[in-house]
Amino acid sequence: MRALIRFGKRDRLRFISHLDLQRFFQRAVNRTGLPVAWSQGFNPHPVMSFGSALALGWTSEYEVIDIKLSAPMGRRRTEDAVRAALPEDLPVLEARMVDDKHPAPMALVRMSDYRITLGGADAQRVYDQVPAFLERERVMAVKKTKSGEKEIDIRPLALALEKTDGGLYARLMLTEQNTLKPDLLVKALADMAGVGVPETRIHRLMLLGADAAGDIRPLMEL
Amino acid sequence: MTLSDRIEKLFMSVQKPVRYMGGEFNAVMKDPEDVAVRYAFLFPDTYEVGMSHLGMKILYHAINARDDAWCERVFSPWVDMADLMRQNGIPLFTLESRTPVREFDLLGVTLQYEMSFTNILEALDLAGIPLRREDRVDGPFVICGGPCAFNPEPLAPFVDLIALGDGEVETGQTIDMYRKWKASGLPREAYLRMCAGIPGIYVPSLYDVSYNDDGTVRAVTPKPGSGAPEVVMKAMVPKLDEAVYPDKLIVPYGEIVHNRIMLEIFRGCTRGCRFCQAGMIYRPVRERSMDHLMAMAEKLVAATGYDEISLMSLSSGDYSCLPELARAMVEKFAARRVRIALPSQRIDNVLTDTLKETQKVKKTALTLAPEAGTQRLRDVINKGVTEADLIRSVTDAFDQGWSAVKLYFMLGLPTETDEDVLGIADLAAKVRRCYFSIPKERRAPGLRITVSASVFVPKNDTPFQWAPQLDYDSVVRRQRLLKQALNQIKGVDFKYHAPDVSYIEAVFARGDRRLGAALERAWRLGCRFDGWSDQFRYDLWLKAFEECGLDPDFYANRPRSEDEVFPWDHLDCGVTKQYLLSEWHKAQRAECTRDCRKGCTGCGMKRYEGACV
Repeated sequence: MRALIRFGKRDRLRFISHLDLQRFFQRAVNRTGLPVAWSQGFNPHPVMSFGSALALGWTSEYEVIDIKLSAPMGRRRTEDAVRAALPEDLPVLEARMVDDKHPAPMALVRMSDYRITLGGADAQRVYDQVPAFLERERVMAVKKTKSGEKEIDIRPLALALEKTDGGLYARLMLTEQNTLKPDLLVKALADMAGVGVPETRIHRLMLLGADAAGDIRPLMEL
Repeated sequence: MTLSDRIEKLFMSVQKPVRYMGGEFNAVMKDPEDVAVRYAFLFPDTYEVGMSHLGMKILYHAINARDDAWCERVFSPWVDMADLMRQNGIPLFTLESRTPVREFDLLGVTLQYEMSFTNILEALDLAGIPLRREDRVDGPFVICGGPCAFNPEPLAPFVDLIALGDGEVETGQTIDMYRKWKASGLPREAYLRMCAGIPGIYVPSLYDVSYNDDGTVRAVTPKPGSGAPEVVMKAMVPKLDEAVYPDKLIVPYGEIVHNRIMLEIFRGCTRGCRFCQAGMIYRPVRERSMDHLMAMAEKLVAATGYDEISLMSLSSGDYSCLPELARAMVEKFAARRVRIALPSQRIDNVLTDTLKETQKVKKTALTLAPEAGTQRLRDVINKGVTEADLIRSVTDAFDQGWSAVKLYFMLGLPTETDEDVLGIADLAAKVRRCYFSIPKERRAPGLRITVSASVFVPKNDTPFQWAPQLDYDSVVRRQRLLKQALNQIKGVDFKYHAPDVSYIEAVFARGDRRLGAALERAWRLGCRFDGWSDQFRYDLWLKAFEECGLDPDFYANRPRSEDEVFPWDHLDCGVTKQYLLSEWHKAQRAECTRDCRKGCTGCGMKRYEGACV
C-alpha cells in the first residue's frame, strides 16, 4: 500500500533545495511512526518519491510525495501522522491511499499550473504582453540545458496564460521532453516588452496528468 | 518592506540560504508579548558547525523551558551573506523571529575556539552593537561561556559577563538577575555588579590588571568597592540526571556537520592527559544513569526521526557500564534502523563485543588517538596507552571486518625529539602489518590508514600551560621529516596543516587583556572565520600585532617561569594551579599519573560542593 500526500511549501521554506527536502523527508517519515517500507540493499532507506521537483525560491500548494507502507493504514491516520511530523510551513493538504500497482506520480505528471507575480516598475509592461504572446504562433526563447543553450519555441508549451488580479495564471507543460518553466516564460514576455526581467515570485497551484481517456485532471485524482 | 522580506531578497544571491532561513522542525516559536526576556544565542561560526554543537542545544532548551524567556539562535553569516547584509543595511538577525539582535535583552555567545574570536566582533558590528563595552548605552548585555571562557582576557574589552563552567543553572540565574535589574530601574552598570555575585559569573570590567616590567601580569584584582570576588569559582552541576536535557532537537533541512542525536553519557574526564584542556576544565566526572539515557534516547528518536545516536563524552569507553548501555541501545533501536555510534574511542578501551554490536547496524571508520609516537612521549603527556593496547585494538578491528583506521597525533609536544616524530611512522607501519596478519579471506578489502598530525597548542588550565609552543620553523621541519618517513609506507595518507593557525591560536589561548587591541585591529583589517583555511589571513594577523606593538612570540613561544602570574589565575576551573604544576614536573620526568577513578589524585575538584562523592 502507498500513501500519496499533497503538501504545501510556504514562503518561509521556499529556499530549501529539492535535495535537502528529500533528506528532510527521510527523517520526517521516521517521526510519523507509520509502518514505512524500506528499500533493500547496502544502504536501506524509506521508499518514497516526489511528484515533481520544485525550484529553489518557489512556493507551492501542490507538492506530492508518495510513501510506500509495509502494512495497511487508514487514510485519516496516515494524514494526521504525516501532518504531525511536518513543520507548519509544510502543511499537509490532502492524502490518498493507493495500491502498489498505482503508477508513480512522477510518471503521471503532464503539466503544472502556476501563479506568477511580478514586482517593480516594469511589471505592468510585462503583464501587458500576454495578449500578444497568445496571438503569436511561435515564441522563441533560449533554454539552458545541461549540454548548453538551446533555442526552442515555447508557445506550444504554454497551454493557458491569463492576467488575473494576483498576477499571471499559467498552465505550462511539464514532461521529460517538453517543459516550460515559468521563469523562462517571464523572460520571454520581458523580452517582448523590451524590458529587463522583473522581480518574480512563482507559486505552484496544481500538478496535472491525463487519465485513461486522455482527459486532463489533477494529479491526486488520477 | 519588512526586515524578513529584505532578508529573503538576499537569499537568491548567497550560498546555502538554508543557513539563514529558520523554520526548522522543533525550532521554538513564542509570542514576544508573552515573554519578559529575549535571549539571542550566538554561535560564532556557520550554521552547519553551530547546529552540531551539543552545548547550544542544551542551553536553547533550558532557556526555552522557561515561560518568561525566549531563546533564539544566531550564527555567523558566511562572508558572502555578511557582505550583502552590510551593503543592504540589514542588521544581524535571529533565525526564529528574524528580529535584529540589537533589540534583544541578552546576547549569549559560546566560546568554543580561539579562532572564532574575530567572528564575535564581526557579529557585534553586523548587529549594530558598539564593539567595546564602554561605548554601549543600550542593547543586549553580552555574556560569553564555553571552554575558552576560562581565559577570556583577550575578549575582556568587548563583553559584559563571562560564564564559567556548566551553563544549565547559571544561564537561568543571569536571566533572573536581568529581570530584577530591569525592575529596579538602576543604570546599566548595576546589572554587571549584581551578576558578580552569581556562582560562576566573572565580570571583567570589575577587575584591574597590572603588569611587570617584563610584560608579564603582576596581578588581577577586583576594583575596590566592586564587591567582585578575588577568585571566581566555576559553576558546576553535581548530578546530570537532574539537570535539564532537551527532549526535542531542532532538525535542520540542509546537511550539517553532525546531523544526529547527541546523547551526553557523562561529563568530565578522569584520564588526566596533560595536553587536554577539556580533561581539566570539565571535571569532575558525572555519569548519567543508564535508565535515564535509555529514556532520553527513546524520546529523542521519536521527536526527531534521526537514524543515528551518538554517545557523547570526552572518553566514552570510560562509561562505567558501556557494554551494557551499547547492547541495550542496539537491541532497542536496531529494528527501527537507528545506528549507535561511539565517538572518541580510546585504544585501550575499545570493547570487542561493543564493536560487534554497533557493527550490526552499520560500519564506521575506526578512529584512534595515540597522540604521540613513542611510549616515552605518551608518558610525558600522560596518555595512559601502550603500543600493545593499540596493536590489540587494531588487530581486533581488522579481524572483525574493519579496513579503515584513522590515527591522530600531535607534533611539537613538550620534550618531543626527532625520535618521537619518527615513532609515528613506525606505529603506522605496525598498524599496516596488523592488517596483513589477518588471513586474506577474513579481512575486508581496501586498507586505508590515515595519519593526522596537528600542531600542539599549549592551553591555559593544563599542566602544559608553562610550556612554549614549538617555533614555526621547527614545526615545519618535523612535519617534513614525518612526511618523508610515511612516504616509505604504502597505503598511508598523511594529513597536516601549516602551523600558522595553531600559532595564532596559541597566542590567544594564553593571552592577556592587552591582546583585545590586536583582536580588534585584525578584525578591522578583514580577519574573520580564522578557523577556515580559505579565509585565514596570517599576513593580516601579523600586521595587526605589529600595529598594536604586541609581540605574538611573547605569548606563544615563551617558556613561562613557575612563579609567573597568569592572566587567568583569578578564574578557578576546578583544578588547582598547584596540581597543574606538580603534573608539569611529572611530565618532565615522563612520570604517569593514574586515572583518578582508581584513587583521588588531589586535583582540587573536591573543593566544590557535591563533586567526587
